[in-house]
Amino acid sequence: MSTLLTYISINDGKIKRSSLEVLSRCNELAEKHGLKSAALIIDQDPAPAAETLKTYGPSVIYTIKNPIFKNHLNTPLLKALSTAVKQIDPRVVAFASTEGSKDILGALAANLSAAALADMSEFDLTDDGVKGKRPIMASKIISAVEAKGTPVVLTVRSGSYDVVEKQTDSSVESIDFAFSEDELKVTLKEIISASSDRIDLSEAEVVIAAGRGVKDEEGRKLISELASVLNAGIGASRALTEGGAYDPSLQIGQTGKVVSPQLYIGVGISGAIQHVAGMANSKVIVAINKDPDAPIFDIADYGLVGDLYKVLPPFIEELKKIKQN
Amino acid sequence: MDEKFDCIIVGAGVAGLGAAMTLARNNMKFLLIEKGEFPGAKNVSGGVLWGNDLAKLVPNYWEEDGGWDRFINHRRLTFMDEQSTFSVDFKSSHFNEPPYTGVVVLRSKFDRWLADKVQEAIDASDYAMDSFIAPNILVEEILLEDDKAVGIKAGGDEFYSDSVILAEGVNNLLTRQVGLQDKYVPADHMLTGVKEIIRYDQKVLEDRFQLNGKSGMSNEFVGYATNGVEGGGFLYTNKDTISIGLVLGLKDLREKEQKPHDILNEFKKHPVIADTIRGGEVVEYSAHIVSSGDKRVMPKQLYKAGLVVCGEAANLLLNAGKAIQGMDYAMRSGILAAETITEAKKAGDFGESAMKKYQDTLENSYIMKDINNFQDAVHLLHDPVMTQKMPNLICDFGRNFFSIKNEPTPKSREMLKGAIKRHASYWELIKLGAKGAKAL
Amino acid sequence: MKFYVCIKQVPDVNAPLQIKDGQLVQDADRNILNAYDASSIEEALVITEAHGGEVEAVLIGPEKAKETLRKALAMGADSGTHIVTSGDENYDSFAYAKILATFFKDKEYGYILCGKQSQDTDSGLTGSMLAEMLNLPYSTNAVGLELQGDHIVVKRQGDTGQEMIELASPGLVTCSNDMNDPRIPSLKGIMQSKRKPVDTIALSDLNAGISEADTKTNILSFEEKPEREPGKKYEGEPEEIARQVAQLLDTEENVI
Ligand SMILES: Cc1cc2nc3c(=O)[nH]c(=O)nc-3n(C[C@H](O)[C@H](O)[C@H](O)COP(=O)(O)OP(=O)(O)OC[C@H]3O[C@@H](n4cnc5c(N)ncnc54)[C@H](O)[C@@H]3O)c2cc1C
Ligand SMILES: Cc1cc2nc3c(=O)[nH]c(=O)nc-3n(C[C@H](O)[C@H](O)[C@H](O)COP(=O)(O)OP(=O)(O)OC[C@H]3O[C@@H](n4cnc5c(N)ncnc54)[C@H](O)[C@@H]3O)c2cc1C
Ligand SMILES: Nc1ncnc2c1ncn2[C@@H]1O[C@H](COP(=O)(O)O)[C@@H](O)[C@H]1O
Repeated sequence: MSTLLTYISINDGKIKRSSLEVLSRCNELAEKHGLKSAALIIDQDPAPAAETLKTYGPSVIYTIKNPIFKNHLNTPLLKALSTAVKQIDPRVVAFASTEGSKDILGALAANLSAAALADMSEFDLTDDGVKGKRPIMASKIISAVEAKGTPVVLTVRSGSYDVVEKQTDSSVESIDFAFSEDELKVTLKEIISASSDRIDLSEAEVVIAAGRGVKDEEGRKLISELASVLNAGIGASRALTEGGAYDPSLQIGQTGKVVSPQLYIGVGISGAIQHVAGMANSKVIVAINKDPDAPIFDIADYGLVGDLYKVLPPFIEELKKIKQN
Repeated sequence: MDEKFDCIIVGAGVAGLGAAMTLARNNMKFLLIEKGEFPGAKNVSGGVLWGNDLAKLVPNYWEEDGGWDRFINHRRLTFMDEQSTFSVDFKSSHFNEPPYTGVVVLRSKFDRWLADKVQEAIDASDYAMDSFIAPNILVEEILLEDDKAVGIKAGGDEFYSDSVILAEGVNNLLTRQVGLQDKYVPADHMLTGVKEIIRYDQKVLEDRFQLNGKSGMSNEFVGYATNGVEGGGFLYTNKDTISIGLVLGLKDLREKEQKPHDILNEFKKHPVIADTIRGGEVVEYSAHIVSSGDKRVMPKQLYKAGLVVCGEAANLLLNAGKAIQGMDYAMRSGILAAETITEAKKAGDFGESAMKKYQDTLENSYIMKDINNFQDAVHLLHDPVMTQKMPNLICDFGRNFFSIKNEPTPKSREMLKGAIKRHASYWELIKLGAKGAKAL
Repeated sequence: MKFYVCIKQVPDVNAPLQIKDGQLVQDADRNILNAYDASSIEEALVITEAHGGEVEAVLIGPEKAKETLRKALAMGADSGTHIVTSGDENYDSFAYAKILATFFKDKEYGYILCGKQSQDTDSGLTGSMLAEMLNLPYSTNAVGLELQGDHIVVKRQGDTGQEMIELASPGLVTCSNDMNDPRIPSLKGIMQSKRKPVDTIALSDLNAGISEADTKTNILSFEEKPEREPGKKYEGEPEEIARQVAQLLDTEENVI
């Protein structure tokens, strides 16, 4: 009842930055309210991540180890979470908002008969639960929400909090967990991964987003060039993921991912609210669009009115020069 | 379900809804088709629905909160030059009791509300299961057999009916398809309407425009508002927003190489207007073609066997300076069209002569009487003397008349003379006066 | 195979809205079928059109929400159930899931489809809550479904790649709108929809036993999203403006 538990997402053995953001927030709240901040790692091999976590301030690091967690499957994850929560009895179970956590949040809440708050942009504790903020109406509006009871399970939008390093003497405790494949009513047949060498969008410092204006191979080449000059992650609007020009996991927006980079450059994107829902928290927004009335210009810090095929080459050229100096 | 309808109505604007309500009440089996996602979705306009035909369709509509925004009890006609405005202002508590002389409506809300009322009327009719309002469907073609309308085509499927009411609005492609209007109407006689909706705190709006409860004001503008382009401006108070906009001659815009949006922005920056609209937040901008009410571009014949045309599809619109009347004409003509169809059904005859009765009643209604009577006024509004010189002259006179300078004040007659000298020739004024006398 | 599709009527996020005294004032009439649910219906229709079967839409909502159920029928669903609420309760996902769970308790079906989230609140909870309450295997954020014999294979969009998941029947899937382009009801569809069977159940008759404790989260108030300071538009020679902005990103913003 005195623990704030952060679930740590791991991707390719690496801790997701967004999980560290959530952990940092829980550390802060634990200090403020005189509670304990703990982390939970559920993985086929949690040890390396547990080691890394010691620099991020949880007083306890709980681990659940099982080969079943090699790939994401909701049944075992749910069971592991439920086991851990019952044992730890935390006040809050906090996740970074990812497709993985969204997959189980509701089921976990139902399993624990707990209140669930998804995609929070801010949260704090109250006497008997959690309060906070979350965007609604395609992120046009912010709602102030509260949830009562113990625990409250919640997910936090990436970029909502800063990662704060904090060296601690964390203890590592492993939680017993057994799972037999017979319990599985779902089978993972195959994972179709988009190329793995690319930069994770939700963590990228710079994001280049391509929209319908990027019509052809030549356009996509310009996008790649721009991305490589700036060491940026590439994202896309639904117009392009839907059409197959970009991998669906690269979609930014209400249906896709939320990004909050230092620099977002939208190329040939109109700025529909559903897209903006996923990028409005970027620090600097640059838009390139040939339509001076495109809604994206309403939120862009730098709006370049022009044909992307004419604007991008000199833009890339100039950026290269700046980089070289 | 596969049987024929008594009538298919194309377009759920004011005209189509007026027709549909009348058909439902007359216990007819019909289909009302709208291409927008919902009735009103495609209707960016809004404004004053003059007169009280609405009460015929929805008795005691004023007892409901939905649909309409405010009733008009305050009207103002404003002449403007670059710095000044000179207004004729009329406000009266006569207009405070329903039925009102006009109500302000926002179409995306009003059309939806009226469609709900039509649905209620359908549900209460014998054809609750057989009459439909179908949104999000584009009518592609009117089916003709031996030059008689027999149904429509939509989504590649054909649907049959004894009659068709075309209420498709100003962009009347189907009216052209059936040959009632030339395929290419010169844009010269068309106008474009641009409008912004600006939102205020409701209290601020009510204080600023001295509104009380649901009362509202309408203001028309002549002169500098249009920056030299023929046309005029308007401002209406809605519930917690105002609509402010312009109607501008397309040909003149083209010739003067001006953009409607720029002119609107200039209009809003006019010192007097800027004071009036200060502090709000623009929540919507829209532009739409409007017919000019010029009889020269009106289809001569508004019917053929099995078919009638109403509303702005028939170019029924009048802008004679004191108000834009399009919605009230649309509503009345829709009602008349439906009445003709109902009669035809009773008589079992949808032939050309049965349909002609629609045009006959229309000719005898206030609509065609007004349109015929005010043709000259319509032309006058496009006369640069009227739209530019006159407002300048009036404002010039006003400036002199109202300034007190601690020096001998000339008689108003002299002031007027001076103003005329500076802005127009007597000859122009005499011509205009003669035209005006004839027009009004 | 029988598919149930849970559909919700949501306010149109494109309609004008404003905040007055901390409350959200929306254009009350502008309610639509949740876009993600439209995709679920489309997918169920495609499958049953190809393999046979039946689609029933289930909606919890006030009387007025029936038009949304009609839309599902006009798209092609065979039948519908409307669980009628008064409209002024402020249920959250948990409460809706519990009502749905009560409804499905004694039903037989191949799969239940839900939308991956509500378009207005983006909660994304109801589907997996319902699955847990009914003890069904489930998969969320599906971008493709394929019926293979007696079970479906779900293509689910994960964080990096797509996971192909074989889901036993009965099961539950939540659908993304990236799955398909939902059909717009045809005139024929609209006409047929009026005669399709709709079962109307008052919420109180369902005995879902919803108490206050089932609404576990509350919205306290609403606020406008802080507006971004308007930026600057650069128009003119592409070369010129491109160089200018690139420079500024370096010197002014320090983000290069
Ligand atoms: C429930 C729901 C969820 C959605 N979720 C998402 C989401 O997560 N992400 C998302 O992106 N969308 C989402 N959408 C779709 C969204 O509404 C828009 O349709 C989409 O974002 C449009 O993409 P776009 O801006 O690339 O295309 P468009 O809107 O077609 O805009 C293309 C732009 O490119 C410009 N352009 C064209 N050619 C050039 C050129 N040569 N040079 C410069 N500019 C050019 C045009 O002026 C135009 O502004 C969702 C929709 C719904 C209903
Ligand atoms: C800026 C502006 C301000 C105005 N202000 C006023 C005012 O203050 N007072 C006033 O009385 N009038 C005003 N008007 C004029 C008024 O809006 C029109 O006269 C009136 O809307 C005409 O009504 P209607 O029903 O004939 O056509 P519309 O209202 O245009 O309705 C036609 C409907 O048919 C649908 N449709 C068209 N083609 C098809 C098809 N093929 N298949 C299916 N559906 C189709 C359209 O989507 C539309 O909903 C204004 C107009 C503008 C542009
Ligand atoms: N009132 C409701 N009636 C039917 N289904 C609902 C209802 N509310 C939520 N759902 C289902 O749950 C999904 C949305 O979940 P959530 O984002 O948690 O609101 C929708 O796409 C529906 O499939």
